[in-house]
Amino acid sequence: MTPLLKSPRGSDRHGFKKTHSWVVFCTLLGCFFVSSGCNKTPPASFRSNMIEATKQRLSQSQEKQVATVLLAMFGTPDNPVVLAETGLDLEKLTLCAGPVRSDIVGRKNGLYREHCAHCHGITGDAMGPTAAFLNPYPRDYRPGVFKFKSTERVEKPTHVDLVRILHNGIAGTSMPSFALLSETQIDALAEYVKYLSIRGETELSLMRAFFELDDDAKGILPETREFLIGEMLLPASEKWLAAKESQIPVPLISEGVDLVESIAKGKALFYGDKANCVKCHGVTGLGDGQANDYDDWNKPIVEIDKELRGTRERIKVTATASMSPEELAEHVALQDWVTKLSQVLDGDSLKPRTVVPRNLRHGVYRGGRRPLDLYYRIYAGINGAPMPAAKGAVSPEDIWHIVNYVRSLPYEFDGELGADRPLIARERF
Amino acid sequence: MNILQPCRRSFWPHFIACVLVAVTAVLLSFGALVTTFDAAMAVPDWPNTYGHNMFLYPLADWLWGPWDLFLEHGHRLLGATAGMVTLALFAAAWWWQERGIVRALCAAALVLVVVQGILGGARVLLDDRTIAKVHACTGPLFFSIAIAIATLTSRLGTIVQKTIRKVANQTSFKEPSSLPAVSSVALLSAAYLQLVAGAQLRHLDASIEPASFRWMVFLHLFGAAVVTLLAILTAASSWSRRFIPSDRLLREDTSSELALCIWSTCIVGLVIVQGMLGAGAWVVSWGVPTGFFFEWMQWNLTEATVARSPTGAAVVTAHVVIGMMILGASVVMAILAGTRAGWCRTDDRPEEAVA
Repeated sequence: MTPLLKSPRGSDRHGFKKTHSWVVFCTLLGCFFVSSGCNKTPPASFRSNMIEATKQRLSQSQEKQVATVLLAMFGTPDNPVVLAETGLDLEKLTLCAGPVRSDIVGRKNGLYREHCAHCHGITGDAMGPTAAFLNPYPRDYRPGVFKFKSTERVEKPTHVDLVRILHNGIAGTSMPSFALLSETQIDALAEYVKYLSIRGETELSLMRAFFELDDDAKGILPETREFLIGEMLLPASEKWLAAKESQIPVPLISEGVDLVESIAKGKALFYGDKANCVKCHGVTGLGDGQANDYDDWNKPIVEIDKELRGTRERIKVTATASMSPEELAEHVALQDWVTKLSQVLDGDSLKPRTVVPRNLRHGVYRGGRRPLDLYYRIYAGINGAPMPAAKGAVSPEDIWHIVNYVRSLPYEFDGELGADRPLIARERF
Repeated sequence: MNILQPCRRSFWPHFIACVLVAVTAVLLSFGALVTTFDAAMAVPDWPNTYGHNMFLYPLADWLWGPWDLFLEHGHRLLGATAGMVTLALFAAAWWWQERGIVRALCAAALVLVVVQGILGGARVLLDDRTIAKVHACTGPLFFSIAIAIATLTSRLGTIVQKTIRKVANQTSFKEPSSLPAVSSVALLSAAYLQLVAGAQLRHLDASIEPASFRWMVFLHLFGAAVVTLLAILTAASSWSRRFIPSDRLLREDTSSELALCIWSTCIVGLVIVQGMLGAGAWVVSWGVPTGFFFEWMQWNLTEATVARSPTGAAVVTAHVVIGMMILGASVVMAILAGTRAGWCRTDDRPEEAVA
């Protein structure tokens, strides 16, 4: 007979101890998740641009001054402040700021944290929790550079450009479409992106301003309205206000132009010296040309890293024995700076990635697939990316020919595949 | 609590426990939807709903109002219902003098449902995501207890126990392996911890570093691998005895063995579905994790995903619900396998009466 049958009910094996074990089990599990995080979530805060601060060798008090000025000018992620000079609408920002919550039936606030912050980060520094898993990385708004827009290369996008990107998403990336959000919500989110961008640019200006201070300033920025608003804030915010005026002029393609002829002309330009698209997009248009460049967000990280490695090498070979006390102090300060910068790079940046020229055979155009979008991309290039502007070198009419050729590339007959079937990179090998 | 005392078996405790499981399943699904749509703060006050008594909030405003409000207020009403059903179950277990373990579990369920309600209220009043995480971890724990009560009061466990007893009287009886029981208890623990890890990802704090998030993701993926292996082990160990030709149990103990085999196979099926839903949930929540793969593994993303699409929300919510189903099925499996291995008893008759 097995012990199973001999054990009376309630004995050690089948009775109370079992009950106790359940209680112990539940208690342990309870302890596990309670101990996993009992602290109340701290209020959200903007993260300082530590890479720039360390690069500019700002002292702690200088970092604090920048943070104080920014707090006064822009408030916190939960309570944004708007100065009239920015032209931003506080009501829209309030809809996006703070934690996700409703104050009246059906009105949801905290839209940025609900939809955007997990990738773009609360500060808009592209250091949200999920950022490392994305390729391309999410956009860092702080330098104020945006790729897909209808304005001249160095200008800001219009509000409509931001709304279009939010509405359509960016095909070929992890940026989703927010088409299911209401127009009011998308409009408010576009405003919040501008707010974060202006804040980020102002922060950069403030940090760089220390470098130009006179000795009399004793390392402290003047806290006058003229300096803070006039010299730091306005250069960033005025560009946003002027974006509408710098829209790219789009001449209509001449009537009566034969499409086949236009594509042939576009092809000649694509491979020609004037447009020279083949340099990056490759002879085949598969995006297999020059591919070792970085965009404007990754390039500074690569350069800082290079500088860091060079400085480290220099420190290693420098003999300290014959140094004067002043030189030694300087040497130690340099060592500290190198250590701090490498720590900041580890924590505040992601591994740089090269920018890959677009494979034009896919038929996927990140900035939009309308012919007009392609015209904008070719005319003004892509700000922040190595794609140059054809403006000046190629006439508007010729740009339309290139647009027609680019649009025909996914369906180009190469003698093997059907004309109705897109040629994709995989099938080439 | 004396489990030796004779019991007045009744249909009601089991029936109420089943009602509780059903209500809790809907409640947890609503809770999962609340998190998916970030609707926890759709009603800023608690226990009232926009100033109304929770139970007196206009029905039309709830049913035809904003989707977020429908979810959050519905979650509260279901929570209150679950609380009342738990109270009824507790009373029934005492009235019909259920066994000690059942009564203890009913008491634990009652305490937990009150704690869970307070946590839900605190999450709203303090607007705190940490409490939301704890609230999300307590829910499945309560669900597990409700399932355990329903199983322990059911005939299923009794059948297993009786068959074992009957077969054990045979001279050629071979003591059942404890491997299915061990692995199913391990599976139950892993499935719960996996839900805890998942709750950290679901209630993502946007201010955490990418490095911390990476660890959380790897922990969840590691948990998924452990749950999969344990589910396979449980199923394999349950099925293995059916293929031992000399074993008398093959002929005599068919029903209890089949119960284990079916449950464990169902769990494996759920785990497979769960894996696919997990991949889908990631994509609809945070986009395709292209940075996770090497450059040469990149594929072409032709279309942008649509945030908050009904399909996307269904995938994410189903991932949570299936996770809870795996947990619930593991609880049943652990009880059945534990009974079969002689670890616990699910019937109410003293052994001596049979012997």
